[in-house]
Amino acid sequence: MADSSGTTLMDLITADPGPASSASGSTANATPSSATASAAASQSPSVPMTTTSSSSLGKTILGEKKSKRATLMQIQNETISAAKAALQPMKTNIMPQKQKKKPVSYSQLARSIHELAATSDQKSSQKQLVHHVFPKLAVYNSVDPSLAPSLLMLNQQCEDRTVLRYVYYYLARILSDNGAQGLSTGGGIPTPNWDALADIDAVGGVTRADVVPRIIEQLSAEASNVDTEFHARRLQALKALTYAPSSNSDILARLYEIVFGILDKVADTPQKRKKGVFGTKGGDKESIIRSNLQYGALSALRRLPLDPGNPVFLHRAVQGVSFADPIAVRHALEIISELAMKDPYAVAMALGTSRFKTGALQDVLHLHDVLARVALARLCHTVSRARALDERPDIKSQFNSLLYQLLLDPSERVCFEAVLCILGKYDSTERTEERAAGWYRLTREMLKLPENDSKSSKDKSQKTRRPQPLIKLVMRRLESSFRSFSRPVLHAAARVVQEMGKSRAAAFSVGLTDIDEGVSINEFADDDFNENPYADGARKASSMSGSTGSKETIASLLASLMEVVRTTVACECVYVRAMVIKALIWMQLPYESFDELESIITSELSDPAWPAALLNDILLTLHARFKATPDMAVTLLEIARIFATKVPGKIDADVLQLLWKTCLVGAGPNGKHTALEAVTIVLDLPPPQPGSPSGVTPVDRVSASDPKSALALQKLVQAAVWFLGENANYAASEYAWESATPPGTALMMLDADKMVAAASSRNPTLAGALTRLQRCAFSGSWEVRIVAAQALTTMAIRSGEPYRLQIYEFLNALAQGGVQSQLSEMHLSNGEDQGASGTGLGVLISPMIKVLDEMYRAQDELIKDIRNHDNTNKEWTDDELKKLYETNEKLLDIVSLFCYVPRAKYLPLGPISAKLIDVYRTKHNITASTGLSDPAVIATGISDLVYESKPAPAESDGLDDDLVNAWAANLGDDGLMGKSAPAMSRVNEFLAGMGTDAPDVDEENIVSRPSVGYDDMWAKTLLESSELEEEDARSSGSSSPDSIGSVETSISSHFGGMNYPSLFSSKPTSYGTSQTSERSGGNRYGSSSSIYEGASSPIREEPPSYASSVMQRHDSFENPMAAPESSSFESEDESRRNTSGNPQFGSALYDFTAGGDDELSLTSGEEVEIEYEVDGWFYVKKKRPGRDGKLAGLVPVLYVKPR
Amino acid sequence: MLRLRLQWPRLFFLTFLGFHSCRFNGVPAEERLHWRSFLVKLGADNLKHAKNEELFVASHKSVYIVYTVLGDICLYVVGKDEYDELALAEAIFVITGSIKDICKKPPTERTFLDKYGKICLTLDEIVWKGILENTDKERIKRLVRLKPPTEF
Repeated sequence: MADSSGTTLMDLITADPGPASSASGSTANATPSSATASAAASQSPSVPMTTTSSSSLGKTILGEKKSKRATLMQIQNETISAAKAALQPMKTNIMPQKQKKKPVSYSQLARSIHELAATSDQKSSQKQLVHHVFPKLAVYNSVDPSLAPSLLMLNQQCEDRTVLRYVYYYLARILSDNGAQGLSTGGGIPTPNWDALADIDAVGGVTRADVVPRIIEQLSAEASNVDTEFHARRLQALKALTYAPSSNSDILARLYEIVFGILDKVADTPQKRKKGVFGTKGGDKESIIRSNLQYGALSALRRLPLDPGNPVFLHRAVQGVSFADPIAVRHALEIISELAMKDPYAVAMALGTSRFKTGALQDVLHLHDVLARVALARLCHTVSRARALDERPDIKSQFNSLLYQLLLDPSERVCFEAVLCILGKYDSTERTEERAAGWYRLTREMLKLPENDSKSSKDKSQKTRRPQPLIKLVMRRLESSFRSFSRPVLHAAARVVQEMGKSRAAAFSVGLTDIDEGVSINEFADDDFNENPYADGARKASSMSGSTGSKETIASLLASLMEVVRTTVACECVYVRAMVIKALIWMQLPYESFDELESIITSELSDPAWPAALLNDILLTLHARFKATPDMAVTLLEIARIFATKVPGKIDADVLQLLWKTCLVGAGPNGKHTALEAVTIVLDLPPPQPGSPSGVTPVDRVSASDPKSALALQKLVQAAVWFLGENANYAASEYAWESATPPGTALMMLDADKMVAAASSRNPTLAGALTRLQRCAFSGSWEVRIVAAQALTTMAIRSGEPYRLQIYEFLNALAQGGVQSQLSEMHLSNGEDQGASGTGLGVLISPMIKVLDEMYRAQDELIKDIRNHDNTNKEWTDDELKKLYETNEKLLDIVSLFCYVPRAKYLPLGPISAKLIDVYRTKHNITASTGLSDPAVIATGISDLVYESKPAPAESDGLDDDLVNAWAANLGDDGLMGKSAPAMSRVNEFLAGMGTDAPDVDEENIVSRPSVGYDDMWAKTLLESSELEEEDARSSGSSSPDSIGSVETSISSHFGGMNYPSLFSSKPTSYGTSQTSERSGGNRYGSSSSIYEGASSPIREEPPSYASSVMQRHDSFENPMAAPESSSFESEDESRRNTSGNPQFGSALYDFTAGGDDELSLTSGEEVEIEYEVDGWFYVKKKRPGRDGKLAGLVPVLYVKPR
Repeated sequence: MLRLRLQWPRLFFLTFLGFHSCRFNGVPAEERLHWRSFLVKLGADNLKHAKNEELFVASHKSVYIVYTVLGDICLYVVGKDEYDELALAEAIFVITGSIKDICKKPPTERTFLDKYGKICLTLDEIVWKGILENTDKERIKRLVRLKPPTEF
């Protein structure tokens, strides 16, 4: 790699800056070892960025631009000798001066520490430690545990404060729990996994486990030292101790003991903060020491895990609020506010008794520590909203008024936090009611300055400051923030506006149904919209009070705020602009004109600077916005259309698809057609600009300028086609099992033209979709054509006549080729050889045609049989019925391979067969679902209900036809499509199932996305329990457009889906909800909700598991919060590799020489453990270091054969 | 393949805040790769012609990033929860202030590395286990010299 350029980092580090260098040097024997180690200087991949110590985040990372080869080799070659040196310090002094320019290797540093520790009483060695050894050691990202003995010795013997400070620093780094993974956590130059090395070198190895108890022993002794001269060291020792692994309960218990021990001594004498101010210099030494110790103890306590049940814990934290040290106060407040979330009552009681009387909380308002005030805001919010405190309105109102006062805080950070708290925005679990109430509070309530102020200030405040409506304060503050030049301030302000929009949307949606909240929609309408939006004068009127006054102004206040927000779009920072657009989307109301928003977005999108991830984020905002207000479907789809046409290359097809899907389901009967239209727009994307490089393949009709975006667009089209196929029936409400036209009559109408005319007059939506798909089936690129053919089959199977026949005919023609000329004038050559069969789809289509053939043949026979029986007036014999029934089942099985149909309802033989099959079933006591297919029915044993009667309408996921249909269209994740349900509750319930769908849709590997539907889930579950072939499972999203649509995979995956029920029915108890819902619809809902449990909050823009892949795909970036659960949505094989539980092993197929710092050399045949896969590379670990001395790194996937 | 490198001679200095509440104490190792490449790209896109200490902001989901340039050093602060843009801006202000104090002027790569040990100690006082600790410069200086936070 690039070791071309001049100085390396190591040169910089080691070249001695000052004259002090003369004393130093490097070991003589450093040269040979460093020189040797070969080419493959590699480093563990996470190196240069890394935080310093895993548990301690806030550390540094030092990356550098140049190759670190030399240093690395040294580290690896010499660590072992360093470890040895730890035990038997060398006597020979080895410090020739001449080698100043040689990089100092880790082992040299380690050795010097050992030596200098022995002579720590000498000034020169102290100096050397401080100026050379310790600073250079900091560049390495972890510290060898074998250094611990020397460090401890230094700690005991050395007097020099700077040396000691470094010693505490390094001890903390050794303590922090990071060595285990062997991955570097510190910043800077990577170091190997010390523990692993120690294992190899059985003689001299020192592992963390060996030294940690000793370090803790010594540090805790220091932390308990009561000598006043010692207390600075005491604080540092305590600090270092907090880095100890908190998983060890012994250590933890000990730490608590120390901390509480200190607090017992120092916390009980309450002191006023004033006193500290008064005696800053040369004051009361004792009280200062006490406050220092208070600070140290509380800071340590803050780093320890919370102990909610412990009254002492709470007591100490509450005492902390009146400590003299501002940071101690901050930590105390943070601890209390976290405790308050768990047990608001206890906290309020503890605080209420003493703190309000002494005014300690009021004092925090004037404390010069922003974060302390932020913590206070959160605390006030939690307490004032706590249900547990409903009987104590006095306490609540106290905290509430404190919160309102924080709105006046000079710091934006605090003010914004207070606004968010008032708005009801609180961690990630949001509730619509809370939000709505938040909006109500913000718009209605007044800030009254507290009466318990001292008299003088009371007089003043009454004269100068009259009570102000909150909204006015907030608006003024926000407007001035938007005038700021600081990007963080702009970003934060836009975010606050966005949250306002969310709360407002919630208020609207709740206002519609829930009047108990006291939020009347009319009032809002009055406030917001019937006013002149530009009544600026009213806003400026300084003396408005009372609700009538605020009524005049909310609209105008908002209008002027939004004006300012819009101008912020001019900011050059894309992230700020994105936040502004999100804010605008949230502030948009369904019946406002969205021209302005549209034009803003349109002009924004033409800026090439937008990263794809950010655009997708905005799309998700649209999605969330829709969930909050389903009425906005049309507007939002319109905006989504802008995205699709303007930046087709950048947006993620899956995100867009999710939006379509949501809108389709949520839009209600009237919106369905619009939603479908929005989808088809993608198919009609403008043709390529002349002269564009993609001119050769006009199929895509892309204006995409580069191959990447052309590919993305292609995907988009595929997604649209697939979506159309899956959902057209749902959107058009046309189902075979509800068809009005008996197949017989359709068969009569063999004249195609008449048929089409009849069909389109009957159901224009479906006919339109059909036409579009037909066009795609022969004019798209091959991927699109395949997907289109599949989509058509799905529709053929699901639709009744005459659509089925129409498609059947079309498919036949397609298979034989020559359709193009016949069907339309579209001779769009896509530059591919069309193949002998015209469209090249013959092979693919033939099984589909076969299915339809079979169905028609069986229908014919049935009709013939029926005629025979009628003519001869003969009863159907049992055998005949049996044969009929078997045919029915067989066809059902085949059909199910292609797409989902409700087995209990679907009649492949046409409606006439229903009676006969029913007869047979009742005779033989076969449930409609025949065992395998409908497990829920069996499980609940109420199959009769399924057929005879619909369940009580109370069950929202009951047997509503619409549900079944929706579900059939893979849309019924919600299963809650009660037609009569108010829009909001429908969407809320819908969210319960669907909201979490969002995360998976844009998984890295789309092939197995769960959004495809339950059968994939089935297939997945099946896979997990019984080891089916992995290949099949991987393509379980067969119906998704991305699995280049090979029929084989689609079939096998559906087999997975079909087989699953048998497993499923064997243990029905695991799916609780299936008890109440008769059909596997509910059942499926149950299972999906159990998977997605706990993520069902409405209006959540960012479901937690909405992992990272948007970024991952484009920027190879992962959301750091992507909790492990997100991995469960990852593609089969990836999650398999990811799970640390069962690591995957493999062996190297070939020799591989690392080409970069983070790569790993392999020797063929070597055994490796595969950690995870990134972009065609495995991150693997080895048992022992190879040629390059590394234990872990990246290797190409093809070089390793997984087992 | 994740092998982005800094394209211009600048060091990369990164601090995480507020990640203590994750299951992982901090950022899991494999995600650091992604973080790193994301931030490097962010820097490459925006920091080329930035002035010293001009603050930039970015966000991803609920994680905020504030970054800036100081001499040869790119400083990134990443935070979540209570560490939003504004809190991070304050944190980065403290960090840049301390670095400038230590290096006397906007640091070059060289001076930065020369003072690296001291910078580490300083940062250790500013951020402690992912939680912002001291923001007062005098206090930080005292603590780095192993003196009590408040003198008598």
